[in-house]
Amino acid sequence: MHCSKAAIQLQLYLDHQLSLDQIRALETHLSSCPTCRQELLLLEKINTALQVIEPVVEPPDLTENIMQRVTLSPRQCCEYTYGLFPPSLLEIVTVVVLATITMLGIILVQPSLRGTLPHANQHDLLSTAFITSAHLLGSVSSSTLIWILWVIGTLLGVAITLALAGKEIRSSWFRGMLNQLPV
Amino acid sequence: MNDYPLQSPQSLSLSLPDATSTCTAQNDVELVAASVAGDQDAFAQLVQRHQRRVFNLVFRMVQKYEEADEITQETFLAAWQGLPSFRGDARFSTWLYRIAYNCSLKQLEQSKRDKALQAAIQSRIELDKQVQAEAHDCQTLVREQLSTLPAKYRVVLILRHLQEMTYEEIAEILTMPIGTIKTHLFRARNLLKERLEAFERELNTRTRG
Repeated sequence: MHCSKAAIQLQLYLDHQLSLDQIRALETHLSSCPTCRQELLLLEKINTALQVIEPVVEPPDLTENIMQRVTLSPRQCCEYTYGLFPPSLLEIVTVVVLATITMLGIILVQPSLRGTLPHANQHDLLSTAFITSAHLLGSVSSSTLIWILWVIGTLLGVAITLALAGKEIRSSWFRGMLNQLPV
Repeated sequence: MNDYPLQSPQSLSLSLPDATSTCTAQNDVELVAASVAGDQDAFAQLVQRHQRRVFNLVFRMVQKYEEADEITQETFLAAWQGLPSFRGDARFSTWLYRIAYNCSLKQLEQSKRDKALQAAIQSRIELDKQVQAEAHDCQTLVREQLSTLPAKYRVVLILRHLQEMTYEEIAEILTMPIGTIKTHLFRARNLLKERLEAFERELNTRTRG
């Protein structure tokens, strides 16, 4: 292990964020590297110094003052609730497009429903593409088809939900997903 | 930076109530539900349960006792008004600390004191370097340097060490990915480390001299 890598891992080591293998590798390096041992010592000193900072006593009348202000100020919850709705125009358009795609997909795999589509002129581009893709889907084995449709359906469902959920929930969802990825 | 003196003998064994334990979180849920329905007594209990942690977080951020008092009050007031929109997907304490952090940041930005304070403390440190090197130990130095760090680095150290939170909890409060929390903690401690190294070097030179 290089010292540069060890320097990054030392803090994670102190915060118990390393895997067993990483701990072993780091400890092996530490046993042979006095510079990194010195680094660890310094970091431990800093952590200890931070840990022993005494909590400060809040003012004795804090609760009383808070509750006084709480009593005096009415809630303005309704404005906030309305602020969440309706979704913006862009979000609505996105949802409509995604829902249309989903509907087309459903019609595509149901032969009995295909007749409902308005493709009187069999030679226009849309109808040709539609029929070609229907044939293509027909040639794939049914279990593969179900898997593909299941995945696409799930993705579309998630996308529609997220589009409607609003910006705040969307961003926290993305952050949650990012955190699930191995760093 | 001098800490506010602990006033009463009882406060010498002062501790932060453990707001992150499962038991407290469970009780919080009931009190939050009652508070949403308008029960002010229930909310008063929530205030008493969390005010010390919130106050300490805010105090370490804004570093003025009177301002911390005002911002803590604002935090709880905002929490009371926002409770109906609290969806319960995070713990109440997490949500509350997020409000407290945002209120502190707003205050810091408003007064632009963060920069001015840093400059003031830096110049004071330059002036008093000699005295400090002799009089202060590592702990005092770290505490003083903590107050000169940029707000985004200071807050992760406060949450991690003074409030003993996990990376996950910090990420949730600051609404940042865990990767960013790791980076900020790393840089924050590195800054402290550099300053401590400089201090120790100077101390050694002095001792030898």
